[in-house]
Amino acid sequence: MSRRAIPVILLVLLSLPACSAAPSNEIRCGRGSAGILAAQAVPSATMIPCIAAFPVGWSYGGFFAESGLVRFWLDSDRAGVHAIQVELSPSCDTSGAVEVEDPGSAPTGVRRLELPTSLEPRLTGSTFFTFTGGCVTLRYDFVNGAPATLLLEAHEAIELFPREEVVALLSEGSDVLLCGAGAPPCVGETGA
Amino acid sequence: MDARSEVTGQGVGPDSVAPAGTAAPKRRRRPSGEPPPLPRQLGLGGKLSIGLTLVAVIAIVVIALVGRTGEALGRSESEFVAAVGRLRAPWLTDVMRAIDALASPFLLFTTRVLILAILIVFRRWRHLFVFVGSVLAVELISYGLASFMTRPRPFGVTALAAWEGFSHPSRRIADVAVTAVGIAYALLPHGRYRDVAKYVTAGTLAVFGSAQLYLGVSHPTDVVVGAVIGVTIPLVGFRWFCPNDVFPVTYGRGKTAHLDVGGGRGDAIRKALKEQLGFVVTEIQPVGLEGSGGSTPVRLTIDAGGGAQERLFAKVYARNHVRADRWYKLGRTILYGGLEDETPFRTVRRFVEYEDYTLRLMYQEGLPSPKPYGVVEITPEREYMIVMEFFDGAVELGGAEVDDSIIDQGLGMIRRFWDLGLAHRDIKPSNLMVRDGRLLLVDVFFVQIRPSPWRQAVDLGNMMLTLALRADAERVYGRARAFFSEDELAEAVAATRGVASPTQVRSELKADGRDLLAEFRSLAPERAPIAIQRWSIRRIAAIAGVALLALMAMGIVQENWRALT
Repeated sequence: MSRRAIPVILLVLLSLPACSAAPSNEIRCGRGSAGILAAQAVPSATMIPCIAAFPVGWSYGGFFAESGLVRFWLDSDRAGVHAIQVELSPSCDTSGAVEVEDPGSAPTGVRRLELPTSLEPRLTGSTFFTFTGGCVTLRYDFVNGAPATLLLEAHEAIELFPREEVVALLSEGSDVLLCGAGAPPCVGETGA
Repeated sequence: MDARSEVTGQGVGPDSVAPAGTAAPKRRRRPSGEPPPLPRQLGLGGKLSIGLTLVAVIAIVVIALVGRTGEALGRSESEFVAAVGRLRAPWLTDVMRAIDALASPFLLFTTRVLILAILIVFRRWRHLFVFVGSVLAVELISYGLASFMTRPRPFGVTALAAWEGFSHPSRRIADVAVTAVGIAYALLPHGRYRDVAKYVTAGTLAVFGSAQLYLGVSHPTDVVVGAVIGVTIPLVGFRWFCPNDVFPVTYGRGKTAHLDVGGGRGDAIRKALKEQLGFVVTEIQPVGLEGSGGSTPVRLTIDAGGGAQERLFAKVYARNHVRADRWYKLGRTILYGGLEDETPFRTVRRFVEYEDYTLRLMYQEGLPSPKPYGVVEITPEREYMIVMEFFDGAVELGGAEVDDSIIDQGLGMIRRFWDLGLAHRDIKPSNLMVRDGRLLLVDVFFVQIRPSPWRQAVDLGNMMLTLALRADAERVYGRARAFFSEDELAEAVAATRGVASPTQVRSELKADGRDLLAEFRSLAPERAPIAIQRWSIRRIAAIAGVALLALMAMGIVQENWRALT
């Protein structure tokens, strides 16, 4: 290794803190700190995306939350690593997407839109769930030849959990309260 | 007088030898309970580090036990942050947001790159690696702790600043702290500037911490624990790997990688030499620092009685030198394998004991090395000084006239090493001195007993190269034939390649311009070069360990990249 390479490596290492992600933690429906953090990240959202159960062959990839954005992703032994990515944000760009009737049991007030971008040789595209105060984007990007039925499995794994239920669960046996949608207003809302 | 003629039948040592003209040593045994010459003291920084670490550990334990589900401490902390939130005023919010923006990841990254650039410009590699290591360690520990604690952000209050990930510990504060401490310890000289920087760091953390609380993104304990992690890790790193007295930060010229032998240490050295060897020291002068990286060499002037003075040579060894030796050997093991004995010393006591032994062995065998006077203890298990004869009036081989006699003495010295089953392992110009037409050999720390034939051949090759640098290859080779067979000379030339030669020999060969090694090869019988790569389980384990660490770092980078994309 030449001496010139040392500064380059050091730069890469030093950049870690500047772009480091939040710790991985599963965002499960109705339990866990990750769900609470997700509710805090987008306090206007009335729904929180979460994982109900993992179908066979699917596993948790990682979790990232910051103010205004929640992201987690799933890996599949057939669809590939990072095959599904789910994002929660206050709003999202759904231009080009087509609204469809949710075949599942989406909560009332949730609209579902589909934007497939490729069917062959690999299945890629996005599904949007819009609701009051937020939007969930489910991006799928499968490896070549992965069956489309895997997308159905992924949809079954991911649910939308009402934020007010997160608030209620948290307040059970405790005085602490989330603020925002489905909860009392936050202190210092306007910064004044 | 011939050095060997001074050796009595009882052997050598402080009891049997003393500098010529000096009075019989009067020594004093340190009784039980009396402090050593330089007692180990835990400074303010050390006490502060321990105190802060204790605070952090207590906070983490308390939060982990009662705070994960929002009980007790977590609730009261959220209430506190909400209470602060009720005091928000537009102008104060603007100020706090501006303060928070100063700790943005981009600005922190830019600051770190600047620190890095300064350290590279001033070639302060040790500080550089400690700083980078501290940043990585702080990041990994914060990451791991946050994963374990999974503490949400404060409840009931609007977060007015951007945040990322779980709340405990505050990674923003930890990042600010490690950067600020890095500036103080890697860039600023010890003393007033660094003292001021410490107060500035404390003030900065207080201001940024207050902003985090005001803006509703962290709990008080998040800030405290983040600050403790961000301060303690680099503080311990710099104190451990870059202690001020060995690796001071300076911007002037001069060698820096040696212990300060003035002040308290100078007094301790004087006291130790008087009590343990009976020498009254009148002056301690650092010498030959350029050629010495593994110890602090000094010249001692001692009172020989009757107004006369004698000079002695001494080397101070501290734990840093043992650590440096350990890393050096690990590096050699990874790069070349088991070229020779790469087993590191575990303590500074063993370190100095080994040199004392080799010094006595060389002297006993009549080799022209310094007469040993013994070892003194400065701080038990931390600092020792080995004392030996000072070759007063001698000049390094590079500054001396090298005639056939000097060449013969050098080659004869190697012949004697071979016959005794020894290897010097560090034959280079700065370790060979000339006085009154006599070639002297210093620095016997690397001497090995029953070395490999390869190692002995390398000694010969390096001696030939060192002598040829002051003469010419043909002349040296011609004289060598009187001491060694053609096969032995061919073996030496074939073994002496690359890293087998000390850095000084290689750099002087490069500066000289002549390809002396090729000239020797043309003179010696043909023989295939001897490979210097050696494989062992230890080497494989060392490589695997380093590779594992590299993979972990790459994994973190990849994970972060995936999260962002």
